[in-house]
This record gives sequence, C-alpha cells and structure tokens, in this order.
Amino acid sequence: MTPSPNAQLTTAALVLVLVVVLVQLYLFETVLSAVLDGQRGLLPGAFCVSAVFTALVLFIALKLPSLDRRP
Amino acid sequence: MPHWKKAFPLDLAEEAHFGRREFVRFLALVSAGFTAGIGYLALRRRPLEGAPEPGRGLAPPIQICDASEVAPGSSRLFTYRDAQDRCLLIRTPKGELRAYRQTCTHLGCSVRWDGRRLECPCHHGFFEVERGFPVQGPPTRPLSALNVIEKGGGIWVLGDLPKPTLPNEETRS
Repeated sequence: MTPSPNAQLTTAALVLVLVVVLVQLYLFETVLSAVLDGQRGLLPGAFCVSAVFTALVLFIALKLPSLDRRP
Repeated sequence: MPHWKKAFPLDLAEEAHFGRREFVRFLALVSAGFTAGIGYLALRRRPLEGAPEPGRGLAPPIQICDASEVAPGSSRLFTYRDAQDRCLLIRTPKGELRAYRQTCTHLGCSVRWDGRRLECPCHHGFFEVERGFPVQGPPTRPLSALNVIEKGGGIWVLGDLPKPTLPNEETRS
C-alpha cells in the first residue's frame, strides 16, 4: 500500500530515520578506517547491517502509511 | 500584478515547501549511498592507499640499491610493486634500515624524511621512524611499512610488514 504523496510522517518516524542515518554515517566511517588499516574481514557483516538499515529507512519513506499523520 | 508574475504564475510559498516525506526519501537516498559505499569497499580489488591486498600474491624480493649508497641519517626513494607504489628507504642515524610507503595516511600526500622523522608537508603530520606511528599532526594511522634487509652488500625489500596496532594516545605529542 503506497501512501499518498501529501501524507506526513510522524515526528517519531522522522527522528527514527535521522538516527538510523547517523548510525549509517558512523558505521561507514568505522568501516573505512578499518579498511585503511588493512582489516577487511568486517566488510561483509557491515554491508549486511547497512543494507538492513537502508531497507528500514526505505520502508518508512515509501511503504509505511501507518506512521502517517494526515493533515 | 507585475508582468513577471503573469508570465510565471507560481505560488512561491507553496513551491518552497519541503515535506517530511520528501525529506525522509532524501535521507533514504543518503542511507543507500552509505550502503553502496561499503559494498564498493568490499568489491574493490585494488587496495586503498597502495596497501597490499590480503591473500594475494607476494611481490618478489628486489634489490633497492647498494648498502653503501645510503648513509646513516639519509634516505632514498624507490618503487616496489609498480611505478605508482612509491616507497622511502631510510637508514636511521643509528644505522638501522626502515622502509615505508610514501603515502601519508591522512590524505595521501607524499611523506619525506627530514633527518629525524618522517614529515608530511601538506598538513604538517609527522611519523616516527622506528615503526611509522604518527606522532604529531592530523594523521592517526601508521605508515605502511616494508621489510628490508641488508644482504651481500645490497639492500633488499622482501615484502610488506603487517600493520602494527596503534600505540596509546600518550605517544602523540
């Protein structure tokens, strides 16, 4: 079910997305530092975690009408 | 009504409105960008900063120069794996041999030997010569070190040394 384009997200959903993106930023910075130090073993796990976060944000942004607060 | 408003009948206040959902979609794009970046790092074959790719073939030992060509306290430039892999051979004032890649671990400038320690001239980062740890300035990671030996009157590079763990913060001045 696709939400209407004019539907607003609740503040909780907005804050959740902001927190997830900040975690993504921290994760990317950590992974980059580790790769520069020659530690590549954590890349698959970090990619999976990052993909889950992205899927969550995409779900909230595109497919979650239950969090909408109709104006 | 001005002529330009007749020509462009737009409600500017409405046009400037940026809804929450659009903002969250933008954040979703940013999040996807981070994921793509990590995926790129995982798939990238060439190592960052010219560091060796773990598990790949070792480069053969090569002779850099004659031992007599590097006096104590001096340095010499050489290339190792390819023409882009620029490295710095140093004979410390004590007479010990050290070799590091020239790439600064901050933003990739070329480090140089100033007779006492390694200096990155771009942002005034300094590395100590014994193990390549950063001691001053913006770099936080040690230089990529090479294993060099003196044998048969020549100086040979045998391969890469593993990255040492960072010392405690008190080693930084």
